[in-house]
Amino acid sequence: MATVVAMPKLGMTMREGSVVEWPLAVGDAVEKGHTVVLIESEKTQVELEATDSGVLRHIYVEAGETVPCGSLLGAITASIDEPFDAQAFRRDNERIIDDTPATPAAPSARSGAPRGTGASSHAAPPRGEAAPVTPAARALARSLGIDAARVAGTGPGGRVTKEDIEAFASRRERLVEVSPGLSLEVLRQGAGAPVVLLPGFGVGVASFAPQIQALTAAGGFEVIGLHPRGIGASDAPDQQIYEVAAGAEDAAALAATLGGPVHLVGASLGSAVALELALRFPARVRSLTLITPFVDATPRLRAVADGWRAIARHAGTDTLSRALLPWLFSQRVLGDDKLRERMQRGLSAALSVAPADALDRWAAGIAAWSGSRSANLTDVSVPTLVIAAGADLLTPRGEALGSAIAGASLCVLDSVGHAAATEAAEAVCEALLAHLRAH
Amino acid sequence: MQPTPEILQVAYRTMRTIRSFEEKLIELVNQGKLGGFLHACIGQEAIAAAVCAHLKDNDHVASTHRGHGHCIAKGVDVRGMMAELFGRSTGTCRGRGGSMHIADLEKGMLGANGIVGAGIPLATGAALSAKLRKTGGVGVAMFGDGASNQGAFHESLNMAANWKLPALYVCENNGWGEFTPTEFVVPVKDIAERARSYAMNAMIADGMDFFDVYAKAGEAIARARRGEGPTLLECKTYRFMGHYVGDPLVYRAKADADEWINNRDPLKLFETRVTSEGLLAADNLRSIDEEVTERITEAVKSAQAAPFPDAGELMQDVYAVG
Amino acid sequence: MADQASQTREPREIPTAFAIAEALRIAMASDPTVILMGEDVAGGGRRPEGTDEMGGIMSVTRGLVGDFPSQVLDTPISEMGILGTAVGAAVTGMRPVVELMFMDFIGTCLDPLLNQASKFRYMFGGKARIPLTVRTVTGAGMQAAAQHSQSLYWMTAGIPGLKTVIPSNAADAKGLLLAAIRCDDPVVFCEPKGILFLSTDVPEGDYEVPIGKANIVRAGSDVSLVGMGATVGMALAAAAELERDGISAEVLDLRSLAPLDEEAILTTLAKTGRLVVVDEATPRCGIASDVAALCVDKGFDLLNGPVRRVTAAMCPVPFTRVLEEAYMPSTARILEAVRGLL
Repeated sequence: MATVVAMPKLGMTMREGSVVEWPLAVGDAVEKGHTVVLIESEKTQVELEATDSGVLRHIYVEAGETVPCGSLLGAITASIDEPFDAQAFRRDNERIIDDTPATPAAPSARSGAPRGTGASSHAAPPRGEAAPVTPAARALARSLGIDAARVAGTGPGGRVTKEDIEAFASRRERLVEVSPGLSLEVLRQGAGAPVVLLPGFGVGVASFAPQIQALTAAGGFEVIGLHPRGIGASDAPDQQIYEVAAGAEDAAALAATLGGPVHLVGASLGSAVALELALRFPARVRSLTLITPFVDATPRLRAVADGWRAIARHAGTDTLSRALLPWLFSQRVLGDDKLRERMQRGLSAALSVAPADALDRWAAGIAAWSGSRSANLTDVSVPTLVIAAGADLLTPRGEALGSAIAGASLCVLDSVGHAAATEAAEAVCEALLAHLRAH
Repeated sequence: MQPTPEILQVAYRTMRTIRSFEEKLIELVNQGKLGGFLHACIGQEAIAAAVCAHLKDNDHVASTHRGHGHCIAKGVDVRGMMAELFGRSTGTCRGRGGSMHIADLEKGMLGANGIVGAGIPLATGAALSAKLRKTGGVGVAMFGDGASNQGAFHESLNMAANWKLPALYVCENNGWGEFTPTEFVVPVKDIAERARSYAMNAMIADGMDFFDVYAKAGEAIARARRGEGPTLLECKTYRFMGHYVGDPLVYRAKADADEWINNRDPLKLFETRVTSEGLLAADNLRSIDEEVTERITEAVKSAQAAPFPDAGELMQDVYAVG
Repeated sequence: MADQASQTREPREIPTAFAIAEALRIAMASDPTVILMGEDVAGGGRRPEGTDEMGGIMSVTRGLVGDFPSQVLDTPISEMGILGTAVGAAVTGMRPVVELMFMDFIGTCLDPLLNQASKFRYMFGGKARIPLTVRTVTGAGMQAAAQHSQSLYWMTAGIPGLKTVIPSNAADAKGLLLAAIRCDDPVVFCEPKGILFLSTDVPEGDYEVPIGKANIVRAGSDVSLVGMGATVGMALAAAAELERDGISAEVLDLRSLAPLDEEAILTTLAKTGRLVVVDEATPRCGIASDVAALCVDKGFDLLNGPVRRVTAAMCPVPFTRVLEEAYMPSTARILEAVRGLL
């Protein structure tokens, strides 16, 4: 199968780019991950890497020429005699532009990521206006080849600041290509049996900070935190909906690279992804831990997600975290000024990796997935731990869910809110470690 | 032009009110109860009282930074004035103006003024307005010897004389331009001489003598009302206090000042004359004193009880609305 | 400026008013063409009765007439005459220093500055020099009301050919005034009420603070506070407060409003990306607006947030304390602006 090389769109302001150099000649062997072409946009040169190995079959744009973003530059095929239909590519050209991840990661003829299998008739979420970006952030993003729209704004009014771009740039170093054309931000820590952490809606792996610390300290585990598509530096395919199934496929693809089945830990939306993965790819799962899980999104969960998205469009993470705190934590936390402030700061940091577009897409994914797996809980075949929170306002039926999975261990934390992994960090760590050690 | 006993009674009440008002505010400044720049006119009360005795509400007076006396003599309510000095919302200018900007247009008071000489063209304009509108009113500029060195003075006098405006220019020559003796900076002996350059009628009065100022101002104002043009009336007086309340007075010889204060106090001179000539009884004056003291005490009390303006009023009245 | 000296001597704290007097004394002693003119600058002193002179409304020049009797000239209250005379004297070989009691009074004498002093060098083909200094008191905060409290330096800074400087402390006041007096251009030297009687360490002797050079008075990395005159103190107080919250504020003292040290402003903006400019004057057509415009015009890609202006309100200066406080910029308002940026 052929892979195209197209002019990428590196940032919101890029309209066209020029080819600086083709280091290879037509007919030369191309190695995945190696530079196939050097391009330039707004004085910044970027090396495009081949996303597949093969042979450089065609060069359509010579060095020195300038073409619009999305233009076909060249093609890589498996063999020198494999045909490549440039016209067909050009017919689909527009779609390619839309779906091209706006990072220097090589563009691919594939539309970013596999489509999910869940109900996709869900109406597209309303897309808000782009978050404001400070001029300094815009300039830095341009020079680093970052699309500022991909970056969550932590400044007042949700403004994307220079610091946000810097943080995003440093996170990009953690990108792992989990499937062709899709790179996700992955944090790895420790050595041993792989434990994959899947964070909840709108937060990054930082939401598992106590668990990462506990597992690393315990030894014998490699903790692998996965930022789902659109979160952190992970690629953000331009789709109206991020299906839970697609998230499961992404995590499964990552798991496949880790050799052998993995311990899978998900919280909230992450638990939905983990459940989907366990149902579809049970062979890749050694154990399953579902923290404050759900299979049906309650009206309250949907309403909070809706408010979350609306606030994120217009406010920074400090404001957003204050608005969300009462939904995510118990009265015990809210009633203790020091504890509340600490939790709020931590939440603010965890929220700082989720741009508004990603929230829209994942909210649509939750809505589409909700109810689709209610009847499949009995099909879970891997050792499962369900941690439910007694004062969980958003996913209140965690205990019932745990009871529905045959043989699942159930841990119910009384008077704890939805953000159980944070609020009841010790209890969650204890239950998790016991579960992991047992399997 | 002899004042009637009724006029004398009003004049004494005016002078006593000015004196008591300013003595009270000096006391309040010393107690730290009043802020801002305050300029006392103690010693100059007779001029304000005598000139304003001839004026009605449709006659306009433009005053100076040393304007409390002019305001009181022109009929501005002392309660409102006191509240203004306290910065209260019940003040004449709702606390926004302060001592140097007390104005009451309904009483024909165009305002005290923080800019030396600025009132002179304003009074000239009021005179022009009165002439064009045929109100029969006059425009009166009250100013010091210092202001007569401003271009605004000379430009105004020239215009007023040329246009035969119903204007009166009252120069209160108190011997001091702020901290500088008048003779240091003015080569002429009498400010009144300056009128000659503009072919303007000029007179010199003893500013400590109510009767003299009353007679000459009356003549000048009558003349102005008859359409015979403006007059420059120089009143020789003395500033008993410093330039501002709190002035250390290092620049002035105490003996000089004491000479004026002890022997030329306009209130004492007035009392001596009215009682010796049997125009007003000493008892009558004392009861006026009491009445005034009570009024000032009450003004302070009501001012202190009044609310400050709300900070939200800051941007009110910057422009006309609508 | 005075840094070298300050390393080797005991600190000497004196009020800004005294530092200004020192500068005048040094200037007159070192150059007989330097004359001081103004209302009450001698103030009727040295009369036969043994009285002392007042030395101006703020007593800044008290004592000078005794030592420089032919160089300290009391004038009548004739601002137009004083300024015009000074311009005429300056262009014919004298180096006059005029005291304009309050900057509000510039309304009575703008022409000599606006149409004469500022234009001569250029209009006469570069052949004139106008070594004129106008010292004038600016600013609100003393309940001096609408005609004695304005900060009108934006007006003179906006006239080509005029320089305008404003110190924030006693040491700079002395050095800037000496530089202003010795400058061959007309310079408006503002004396903010808020600093006249504040004391800081002032070096002895003769030194100049260069006109056109801003000064970092506190280094920081998160936000730049740009002040001038009395607002520098407000900015420093805000910076100290912000430090408690872990926010590092840099404070830039403009010192010179015309010419404006654009490089210093852009340098601090490049460092922090966020800028709050604090100006005692009204907001329209002012220095704060100039600084904001500069940041957007020449520093756009450095901006990591909006430029905030903390200024007086766009209204006359009110008398009553409660309204005057609402009118003026303050440390609290600076903090509010900074917290809205971070």
